[in-house]
Amino acid sequence: MDVSSPAAFVNGGLIRMHVGRKVRTVLQATRSDIASVIGKSTDGYQLVAKGSPPVPLTSYVEVIGVAENENTIRAELWTNFGDTFGMLFYSI
Amino acid sequence: MQSNEFDGNAAFSGGGFMPSQATQTTPDRPSSASKNSDARCLLPLTVKQLVDLSRGGESDISIEGVDVNNIVLVGKVSKIDNAVSECTFRVDDGTGWVECTKWVHEHLDSVEVDAISVGMYVRVYGQLKSIHSRRTVHTFSIRPVTDYNEITNHFIECIYVHFYNTKMRGCINTQPGMTNSVSGMTAQPQVANSNFGDPGKGYSYEANQTSQYNNDEEQIRALSSMVLQYLRQPACIAFEMGVSSVVVARELNISVDKVRQTLDFLASEGLVYTTTDDYFKFTDA
Repeated sequence: MDVSSPAAFVNGGLIRMHVGRKVRTVLQATRSDIASVIGKSTDGYQLVAKGSPPVPLTSYVEVIGVAENENTIRAELWTNFGDTFGMLFYSI
Repeated sequence: MQSNEFDGNAAFSGGGFMPSQATQTTPDRPSSASKNSDARCLLPLTVKQLVDLSRGGESDISIEGVDVNNIVLVGKVSKIDNAVSECTFRVDDGTGWVECTKWVHEHLDSVEVDAISVGMYVRVYGQLKSIHSRRTVHTFSIRPVTDYNEITNHFIECIYVHFYNTKMRGCINTQPGMTNSVSGMTAQPQVANSNFGDPGKGYSYEANQTSQYNNDEEQIRALSSMVLQYLRQPACIAFEMGVSSVVVARELNISVDKVRQTLDFLASEGLVYTTTDDYFKFTDA
């Protein structure tokens, strides 16, 4: 990630405006497996992040990657945000 | 070397501790308070703001009219270059990246830099440097972020400071009729003061060198505008005796005490005058 392609902060409602571009968001993980994480975005949408999630995975995880469509992100970078996080304020 | 004649200006120019007459910038610069090191502020910035900084002012770098010296950044470390006496971190906050250099002289410095690894979110306090138009940060302190709400908090702070600085500047330059209810920003040397010199324009702001205005003053300004607007109505001007403060309070739904306080203030500014006891009229200048 560099200045030429900064990642836009998105939520479930905004991701459709950035399909094909680099985005970042925080998901509240509801289900995870070896190749993807399904989670809730800051505005309550269900999103899927594909890639290699960190192990162990915390409740909240930041995902930076390319938006494939309006509810899927092909993740390049994952960051565990812990088990307590202010999703409502991140959405602002 | 001492001159033969006693030169008051030279004697009291500060002996090198204060800018001399020759090096002072133009007196109408609103940010003159920032030349005083006590008034230098710590600005929360995003990397994009940092990269977009314009040149100007005594410290050579300014943003939104405020001289930039010390800054705070929060971002992810994407690269670390470890040398013998310094460590350079590439900090990326999603709006861009910047290199932050921390000089390692003591054991505490090495402990600090050893705690940082690639992929970690960090908070950086440092001084902005510009070398051949490339921005870098001379880092005073860099520490890992443990509570990720700090990231959200930092961005909200950047937004707030940006609006505070630009809104105040907008008020000074182009918005004579605008009221501003933003409370004082302790990190900034720029604070507005209301100027009631021209009643026809309503509010206009001029920069002030102090930063001690409290919420009471902001409230008085807001109330003054409301009361003045009410008294300027043709119906009120038509009353030869003026309007009683009780009537103003009732019409505007404000307490009588506050209205009286506001009217006294407006009278001292010359915008209203008393006709008889407790009756006020707009000064139709």
